[in-house]
Amino acid sequence: MIELLGAWAPLLPVLFVALGGLGLMLVDALVKDKAELAMGTFVVLSLGAGLALGLWNEPVTAASTELFGGWVAADRLSLFLDVAICGGAALAALLGGGYLREHQLERGEFYVLVVFSAFGGMMLGRSSDVLTLFVALETLSLGVYGLVAFRRTSPRAAEGALKYFLLGSFASAILLYGSALLYGATGHTDFVGIAASIEAGDAETRLTILAMALMVVGLAFKVSAVPFHMWTPDAYEGAVTPATTFMAVVVKTAAFGVLLRVLFVVFGDDMLSAPSTGWPRVLGALAAITMLGGNLAAIVQRNVKRMLAYSSIAHAGYILVGIAAAASGPADAGWSETALSSVLYYLLAYTVSNVLAFGSLILAGSHGKEAVSYEDLAGLGRRHPAVALPFVLGILSLMGFPPTAGFFAKYYVLSAAMQMGTGMLWLVLVAVLSSAVGAYYYLRVLVFLFMKQPEPGAVVAVPMRSLYVVSALVLSGYFVLRMGLAPNAYLEFALEAARTFG
Amino acid sequence: MSTGGELLFVVCGLIAVVAAVLTVSLSNPLRSAVALLTHVTALAGLYLTLHAHLLAAVQLLVYAGAVVVLFVFVIMLLGPGALDSKAEPRGWVSKTVGAGLLALVAGAIAFAVGKVNPETVAIPGCPDGQAECSQFGGVNALSAAIYRDAAIPFELVSMLLLVAIIAAITIARGRTRDEKELTDSVDARRFARRAFPSDAEAPLLNPAKMSTGPLRGQSDEPSAAE
Repeated sequence: MIELLGAWAPLLPVLFVALGGLGLMLVDALVKDKAELAMGTFVVLSLGAGLALGLWNEPVTAASTELFGGWVAADRLSLFLDVAICGGAALAALLGGGYLREHQLERGEFYVLVVFSAFGGMMLGRSSDVLTLFVALETLSLGVYGLVAFRRTSPRAAEGALKYFLLGSFASAILLYGSALLYGATGHTDFVGIAASIEAGDAETRLTILAMALMVVGLAFKVSAVPFHMWTPDAYEGAVTPATTFMAVVVKTAAFGVLLRVLFVVFGDDMLSAPSTGWPRVLGALAAITMLGGNLAAIVQRNVKRMLAYSSIAHAGYILVGIAAAASGPADAGWSETALSSVLYYLLAYTVSNVLAFGSLILAGSHGKEAVSYEDLAGLGRRHPAVALPFVLGILSLMGFPPTAGFFAKYYVLSAAMQMGTGMLWLVLVAVLSSAVGAYYYLRVLVFLFMKQPEPGAVVAVPMRSLYVVSALVLSGYFVLRMGLAPNAYLEFALEAARTFG
Repeated sequence: MSTGGELLFVVCGLIAVVAAVLTVSLSNPLRSAVALLTHVTALAGLYLTLHAHLLAAVQLLVYAGAVVVLFVFVIMLLGPGALDSKAEPRGWVSKTVGAGLLALVAGAIAFAVGKVNPETVAIPGCPDGQAECSQFGGVNALSAAIYRDAAIPFELVSMLLLVAIIAAITIARGRTRDEKELTDSVDARRFARRAFPSDAEAPLLNPAKMSTGPLRGQSDEPSAAE
């Protein structure tokens, strides 16, 4: 198969997913039972992840590099992001198969949009030119705007989608403006060319710094870092829950992947990335306000979906700590591979934990009564322990409680930051304090699950029965425990991907 | 540039400027649209003086042929009365400020253009019979750029358009049959005063404008609108 494709081989996962999406559109036109599509989507996306894993040890030939001509990268970081994106999207499609049927929203477009958005995310992760970056980002975003507005009859979905669309277009415009300035300053659009031009001192410094600020703002919007997070709660709450899962895991992973590439390849210059005066300091500040803002705002939420939205903002903050730490080492030590790999490990752990939490929320409700508020969960642990179990596991992992994936993710990020010396100490302190704050609202879910009873006379959410949702929960639960009990293999995987930046 | 080319440039440039001013100053929207049509046609002429033949043709096809026609469609659909405003809403203060800002921006552009060194911007002259000249902005040059040099981003754009179409259909198609059955029961049809029947907190609509479609059989489901 690989010989057959020749120089195109490193793009195999992306091409496969794109063709799979086109195939699903044909199938959608022919089948009556749309739940079949969920299975097809799951198969296409997990095969995409499998192909990326299969290419892991394949060397990239010179013919491939020449063929791609600087538009897309062929390296292990892009394959790693493929695995995370395809895996998250495949699980979200399974959740969709259960949720959409239960709530009678079954329409084939959902799955096609999931596949094509995942395709956009995969291209975003491997883009190495501002042109491909922008087009891939728009491919990802347009699909997600459609997913948020999927339940059009709901005013919340319409509101969330419109907010997301308007603010997202604005952020894309800012990113594009930054790219234009970067082209003006350096005369290049490809990442390597820009970096070489900055390194050689050809670029005008003020223009480059302005361009860098604009590009970081545009990407910070996509990863929903405070103060660019305003759209997140509304869009997460308004979207159907499988679409929320997709946004939480896929959009964030892809955006963080390209943020890494932009920061460490394009703006990896010594002057721009100096720990005290360059972007690491800015990212550290961004991380601090994101962690504090996300966690504090999550406390006052009464809707679990909205709480999880703010929790995803807080998690973006922890990931930013790792990115800031990677560039905060001593002057000529290069990037810290430990910190970079902790960021990538965090993305994987975050993906499976969120699928588990959102999937349990889906499973807890059924047609007519969806579980959305804390009160809807009251007493669920007593009445349906089997539904509460994955919920507990997901919440503990998001909280960072051993022995789950979330614990090691947080641990690796914070210990990588600690290794960078006293300059990062304040950030570690903020992270620990804000996770302590976070424990309050995560534990509140557990309190409602096991220690509260529903108000007498209130409509009680009855858990749905769906093999799709259950299998997504089993899969993500397996990975949450596996990454928590034996994290070494996954950490090694992340470390090999992090060596891309050398 | 040859004398003919200079003549074309001057004529097309004048037409473009006059038509642009007319587009924003005429009060009848239909006349504005026709002025816009003149403007984009004159721009196509300007592209010709730059040897960008393909761009000129695309400009005619896309802008003159499609975009302006869309404008005219919208104007005709809305009716002539919908767009013309009888009263002039702006006072002399905002007019003066607007004119001042416009003069400032135009002056800045003129100043910046005047400062540019002509060596760096001049389009190479075209002696008769030279082949490379027709390459600039022609079919060959453009197709080589799109399909060979930038094939990957070009294909990516086609995926982007596909996603945009699917997303638009997803939103436009709206509801499944099940959803309609559920929300459009008899009671819902008769009393559907809400923009979003599934949500009780949504704002009320004007009852005079509610759906008057034929009613279907009585459903035993409690109405979602209540």
